[in-house]
Amino acid sequence: MIQVENLHKTFKARTGLVRAVDGVSFEAPDGRITGLLGPNGAGKTTTLRMLYTLMRPEQGRVLVDGHDVVSDAGRVRRSLGVLPDARGVYKRLTARENIAYFGRLHGLDEATVEQRTAQLVEALQMEDFIDRQTEGFSQGQRTKTAIARALVHDPSNVILDEPTNGLDVMTTRGLREFLKTLKAQGRCVILSSHIMQEVGLLCDHIVIIAKGKVMAQGSAEQLRRTSGEDNLEDAFVRLIGSDEGLAA
Amino acid sequence: MKTVWTVMRKELLDFFRDRRTMMLGLLMAPLLFPALILGMGAMAESRARTQLESTLEVPVSGAERAPNLVAYLETRNIEVIDPPEDPHTAIREQRYDVILDIPVDYPESWRQSRPALVEVLYDSSRQDSRIPVRRVESALRAYSRQVSAMRLVVRGVDPALGQAVVSGRRDLSTPEARRGMALSFLPYLLILSAFLGGAYLVIDITAGERERQSLEPLLATPSAREAIMSGKIAAACVFGMLSLLLILLSFKLSFQFAGSGPFRGVDVSFAAMAKLLAILAPMVLIGTTLLTLISASVKSVKEAQSYMSVLMLLPIIPTVILLISPVKNQLWMFAVPFLAQNQAILMVLRAETVEPLEWLVYLGAGLGLGLLLWLIAARLYHREKLAISG
Repeated sequence: MIQVENLHKTFKARTGLVRAVDGVSFEAPDGRITGLLGPNGAGKTTTLRMLYTLMRPEQGRVLVDGHDVVSDAGRVRRSLGVLPDARGVYKRLTARENIAYFGRLHGLDEATVEQRTAQLVEALQMEDFIDRQTEGFSQGQRTKTAIARALVHDPSNVILDEPTNGLDVMTTRGLREFLKTLKAQGRCVILSSHIMQEVGLLCDHIVIIAKGKVMAQGSAEQLRRTSGEDNLEDAFVRLIGSDEGLAA
Repeated sequence: MKTVWTVMRKELLDFFRDRRTMMLGLLMAPLLFPALILGMGAMAESRARTQLESTLEVPVSGAERAPNLVAYLETRNIEVIDPPEDPHTAIREQRYDVILDIPVDYPESWRQSRPALVEVLYDSSRQDSRIPVRRVESALRAYSRQVSAMRLVVRGVDPALGQAVVSGRRDLSTPEARRGMALSFLPYLLILSAFLGGAYLVIDITAGERERQSLEPLLATPSAREAIMSGKIAAACVFGMLSLLLILLSFKLSFQFAGSGPFRGVDVSFAAMAKLLAILAPMVLIGTTLLTLISASVKSVKEAQSYMSVLMLLPIIPTVILLISPVKNQLWMFAVPFLAQNQAILMVLRAETVEPLEWLVYLGAGLGLGLLLWLIAARLYHREKLAISG
């Protein structure tokens, strides 16, 4: 369960201050998939970075299972699985070694690491490449490795930044099924995307973000209704007020 | 502590998987340094020997005015040849190392038993002419002494009256110390290897990892950032010490095989090598933490690397200062980084004992500085900007 209340974050740029996140609030309950939908540069990644403790909110707060991400960062990190925008997989280690490294950093013992790796390899269908060095991996193999690495400590909350970015149709479908099993296991899943079909198919709750602000939120059905548009894409365009950064 | 171990193991595994970089990093210096040192030593020695022993050709202008002197020079293995048109230009254009000029009034002064002037023309800025000039001057001095002694004898005076004091020299330096002088550049090589030997590894595992964006997930784990950083520093220190060990072994082997030459008898026992390793250990720590600090504060690997040229000069500073104003070993020196290493290494190579108090000051100052840099680097590791790139 992740609660986000009135988040603000600004960056200094040459042209002056940029309000990357400007008053974002939403709630992501357990057993649900919550999607942040927005054009490129809307502030999705910055919002997620504040959720997974790498950035400090200037204003507002984030509670993960009731713990504050700033004052109780260590505890929050233990209950979070994170897939960052850049996957950051070590290319000279095998997929298995990548996963084990993070397992150890989470304080797991070797037996648990091994057991969790076996489960994830099966769930993500990584048998073919688990013992290969990740240099030369396809985008899909890299993403799977990074996801397995993020979930090795069995976290109750999962944050994924653009999980299907750059994946082919079959891998995307497989990943979608995997995310649904995470939801079925009662985890809180938050993902970001700029692809509305993706979010429409997968998410129970959609938060539309543009220019650092929440433009609308609700289920796909609710969004269609409030915007008065039949399809989600038109609803999205209407809700963010422009068609910038739109990808079908 | 477990995190430190986990991170260190991973970084070393990652590094050793990159075979080619590893080989270059570990083996280049041990192969290159001895070749460099022994080669240079051998060259310098053979050059000095040929300059000292071969026949020296010296152009003498006005040779006909001093046939006696010319004959004497020939007995000292100096061959008198015809002078060039313009001796001054000839020296400036480096066509000759040294030219003798016998002025017109030489015969007149000679006959009247007054001091007769002989000019030695040379260029003091040329290293190469040093030995020939010395040879010519010493021949002239010897000739002058011989002739003046004969003049006194002819007049019935004991030539010994012309000398009130005779100075004698006795060199009390130990043979090891004399050889140690030839090694004044060795500390620089060793300190530099210790200080920057693991530089690429350090830069890669902080600035490089940030650039590859794998620092973001790493820092999102519950492991303490200090522990992650310490693991990386530990990995770089292990690598640094390993490479130093190989360099010292290569020095040991090559000095032993070199046999003769200026490096004969340098203390290369295993005990001395162990001492050198202990001396260089704080330097490895200082270099690694300093580079970690730099890597954590810059935006890119490129920016971190541009600090390298400045860092490479740091170890030279004490050597240069000592060259300009040599001072006796004092206790405070063991607290100054680079200078301390320089002094301590020279002492070991000269087979002198480093006192326990000196060890204490040395290790205290070195490890203290390492700890300070570690603390600053740890602060930088907590910056928000470090984890985020792009």
